[in-house]
Amino acid sequence: MEKRVITGNQAIARGFYEAGGRVAASYPGSPTVELLEAIKDYPEIYAEFSTNEKVALEVAIGASMGGVRSLCSMKHVGVNIAMDPLMTFTQTPISGGFVLVTGDDPGMSSSQNEQDNRILGKFANMPILDPSDAQEAKDMTKLAFDLSEQYLRPVMLRITSRLCHSRSIVRLEEPTEPIYKPFVPDTASYCMLPPYTYEAQHRMKDKMAELAQAAADLDINRLEHRSDEVLIITSGLMYHNLRSVSDEISVYKLGLVYPLPIDYIKQLAEKYQRIIVLEEMMPFIEDELKIHGIACEGKNLFSFTGELNIEDIELGLLEGGVLTEAKYAQLRPIETTPRAPLFCAGCPHRPVFDILKKTKAITIGDIGCYSMGLLYPFEVLKTNISMGASLGMVKGMRKAMDMNGDHQPLVAVIGDGTFFHSGLSGFANLQYQMSGEENITYLVLDNSTTAMTGGQPTSGSKSMDGAGQSILLDDVLKSMGFTDIQRIDQFKYKQAAQIIGDAIKRPGIKIIITSRPCALHFKIREPHFYVDPKICIACRSCIRTNCPPLRMKEYEGIGLKSSIDPAQCVGCSICAQVCPVNAIKRFGDEAKGGSDD
Amino acid sequence: MTKNILLAAVGGQGLVLATGILAEVALRAGLDVKTNDVIGLSQRGGKIMGSVVMGDKIHSPNIAPQQGDILIAFEALEAKRMLPYLKDGAIIIKNDYEMAPSLVQQEKREYDPDIDSLLDGKGEVIRLDATAIAKRIGHPAVANILMLGVAARYIEIEDEIWHQVIQEHVPPKSIELNLEAFDLGKAGTY
Ligand SMILES: Cc1ncc(C[n+]2csc(CCOP(=O)(O)OP(=O)(O)O)c2C)c(N)n1
Ligand code: SF4
Ligand code: SF4
Ligand code: SF4
Repeated sequence: MEKRVITGNQAIARGFYEAGGRVAASYPGSPTVELLEAIKDYPEIYAEFSTNEKVALEVAIGASMGGVRSLCSMKHVGVNIAMDPLMTFTQTPISGGFVLVTGDDPGMSSSQNEQDNRILGKFANMPILDPSDAQEAKDMTKLAFDLSEQYLRPVMLRITSRLCHSRSIVRLEEPTEPIYKPFVPDTASYCMLPPYTYEAQHRMKDKMAELAQAAADLDINRLEHRSDEVLIITSGLMYHNLRSVSDEISVYKLGLVYPLPIDYIKQLAEKYQRIIVLEEMMPFIEDELKIHGIACEGKNLFSFTGELNIEDIELGLLEGGVLTEAKYAQLRPIETTPRAPLFCAGCPHRPVFDILKKTKAITIGDIGCYSMGLLYPFEVLKTNISMGASLGMVKGMRKAMDMNGDHQPLVAVIGDGTFFHSGLSGFANLQYQMSGEENITYLVLDNSTTAMTGGQPTSGSKSMDGAGQSILLDDVLKSMGFTDIQRIDQFKYKQAAQIIGDAIKRPGIKIIITSRPCALHFKIREPHFYVDPKICIACRSCIRTNCPPLRMKEYEGIGLKSSIDPAQCVGCSICAQVCPVNAIKRFGDEAKGGSDD
Repeated sequence: MTKNILLAAVGGQGLVLATGILAEVALRAGLDVKTNDVIGLSQRGGKIMGSVVMGDKIHSPNIAPQQGDILIAFEALEAKRMLPYLKDGAIIIKNDYEMAPSLVQQEKREYDPDIDSLLDGKGEVIRLDATAIAKRIGHPAVANILMLGVAARYIEIEDEIWHQVIQEHVPPKSIELNLEAFDLGKAGTY
C-alpha cells in the first residue's frame, strides 16, 4: 500500500475521494482553505469555492439530495453563516452521504474568535467526529459518509488548525465505487414545513439515540487500559499530546465525540476511581458526562482557551495529582521584539491606509488583508467584527451620531471578496431610510482576489476559476442606486489622496473603488527603488508607509537616512511618491539593472 | 531515537516547503514523522514556525519547551524567539539576514542586539548569510534549501534521498539551482 506524508486537510480530501465523493463546496478561510484546493486535484469530483458558506452548504445539500456523496468545508465562523440552512436540512433524511467539515481554531492563530463548533454540531443533531492525525482524518472522512447514510444524519467532521496543517503518514487506498441515488420527490422528506417537521423531530432524536447505542462498539472509540486509578477521556490531537506526556495512564480515546456511549462510560466510571476529561476550548464532553450524572473533572485542570500543548497537559495532570514528576519544562519566553504581520511590499492597501491615516476620520473596518490597517503603525481601523459587518455598522453608527448632533465624517472599508461574500445585502440596505445628507465614505478595496486566505478568485475577479465569471462591482453598485461612485488608481498617490479627501468632506454616501490588484498574487515586476542618502532629509514619510524593505540606516559620513532593501522591494513607487524631496529613485533610471524578484 | 527539529521564519521565506521536504525525507528513510506549521496570518510578514518530529514512533507533532535538537532559523530575530524551545547544546543554524519588524522600522525599538550572545549561550551555532549566498549563486529564494543542506549534516539521511525529494518539491526550472544550494549547505563551502 502506498504511504504518503500529507497534511490533515490533504488527508480529508483523499478520504473524500476514496469514499467515492462527487461534489464538494467550500468558502475559503483558515485553517480549511487547502482542503478544497486538494479536492480540486481529483478530476472526477466537482469542487467549487462558492460565494459564501451558506451558498456552499446549499450546493452540497443539493448534491446530497441529488444522490451523491457531498462534502462542505469551512472555517469555524463560516458555520455561523451556514447555520440557517443547516438547522433545517438536518431534519431531512439523508440520501447521498453528507459531511460538514469545520475548522476550529483553538488559540486563534488566524481568526477573530475561538468558538467551539462541537456546540453547533450538537445543536444541529449531528454526529461529530474528531480525528487525531492525518491517517485518522482520512479514515474518519470515509466512516463519516457511512454513518451519514446509515443514520440519516449530516455528519460533522470537527478538525482544528493543528490537525489541518500537521503532516503525518497516511496509507492510500483505492476509491470505492461512487453511489448515485436518483432524486425521488418526497414531500415529507424534503419539504420542511409543518406538519412534516413534526415527524422530523422524532427521526432526528431516534437516529441519534440509535447511534449513541452503537457508539461503544465503534473501533474509533478505544479504551487503552493501564491502571484503575485514573481514566482520561480525550479525543483528537489531545490524545497524542497526552501520550507524549505519559504512556502509563488509562485513556478512553473518542473518535466520535457526539453522541457519546453514555451507558458504556457509566460502566467505566464504576471501574476507575477518577475520570478526567482532556479537551481544548469548551468543556463539551465534560458537560455531556455531567448532564448524565457521571462525575468527572476537566476544566478545573486545563485552560478553557488556547491550545493545550504537551507541557500544558502535563502541568494540569501534576496539579490534579495524576503525575508527581514533571518531564517537561514550562515555556519561559525570552523578551523578544514582537513581529506583527504587515502589508506586503507593493500591497495595494498601503497607500489607502497611509492616506486615511492623514485624514484622521473614524474608519469602520471589515475582514480581509486590510484588517491589518488596525495594527500599528497605521491604526486606522477602529472596529473589526465579522465579514460584511462594516455596512450595517457604519449605518447604525451614523444614525447614532447624527441624532446626537455629531456629524463628523465616517469612513468604511470593504474588500471585493467580502463584498460578494456578505456585502451585497448590506449595500442594498445602506440607502434605506437615509436622507442623502448623512456623511459616509465607502472604500471598496478591489484587489481582484480573496487575498487573505491565499488568493482565491472572487465573483468579481477577471475569471472565476477559469469559468469566466466576472461581475463588475461598479455595475452592481450603480444598479443599487448609488450615484456618487468613483474608481481610482491608488498608485497615483496625490490624485488618490485628493479624491478621498474631497469625498470625506462632501455629505451623502460616496463610494470609491480602488483598482490595484494584490501584489502577492499578481506580482509587480518593476525595477526596485533606492534612496539617495545625500538628498534624503530623514523626514520618515516613506518609513511611515510601513513597507517591509524600508528602514532608517546609518550611512558613513552622511548620517541616519532612509534605505530600501533591494531584495524585498517590488517597485510599486509609493515610497517615492510620498518623499517630499525626491530622494527615492527607480533603480536603472541612470544605471542599468533589473528587478531582484 | 527521536529528532526534534524546529524551524522559524518570517512569512514568505519558504518555511512550509522546508517542513514538507523534511517530512518526506524522513518517510523515505523509513522513519515515522509528524510535522506542524503555525502560520497565523500567513504570507504577510508575520512570524511563522514549524516543527518536525522524526523517529521510530511519533505521537505529537508538537515540540515541548527545551526539547528541540535542531533549530533552522531563516531570520535572526526569529532564532532568538525560538530559544526557549531548545535543549542545551542544541544545533542552531542561523541565517544572519535581518528583517526589521514594524516596531524596529518605526524606531520604537532597536533590533535585538543580544541575539548572538544568547544563541552562543544555548548551543552550537552555525552562522551564515544564507540570503546573500543564495542570491550570489542565483536567487535569494533558495536560501531555505541552502539551510536544509546545512541541517542535513546533523540528520543521518543519505544525500540521494534529499536530492530526490528536493527535485520533487521545487519548480522544475529551479531544480538545478536548488540542488546546488543544498550541496553547498551540506558541504559548508559557501
Ligand atoms: C465567515 C467567514 N468566512 C471566512 C473567513 C476567512 N476570511 C478572512 S478574510 C477573508 C476575505 C478577504 O477577502 P477580501 O475582502 O477580498 O480582502 P483581501 O484579503 O483580498 O484584502 C476571508 C474569506 C472569515 N473571517 N469569516
Ligand atoms: S496578500 Fe495581497 S492584499 Fe494581502 S497584504 Fe499582501 S499584497 Fe496586500
Ligand atoms: S517602491 Fe517603496 S513602497 Fe514600493 S515596494 Fe519598493 S520600498 Fe515598498
Ligand atoms: S521620505 Fe524622502 S526625505 Fe523623507 S526619509 Fe524618506 S527618503 Fe528621506
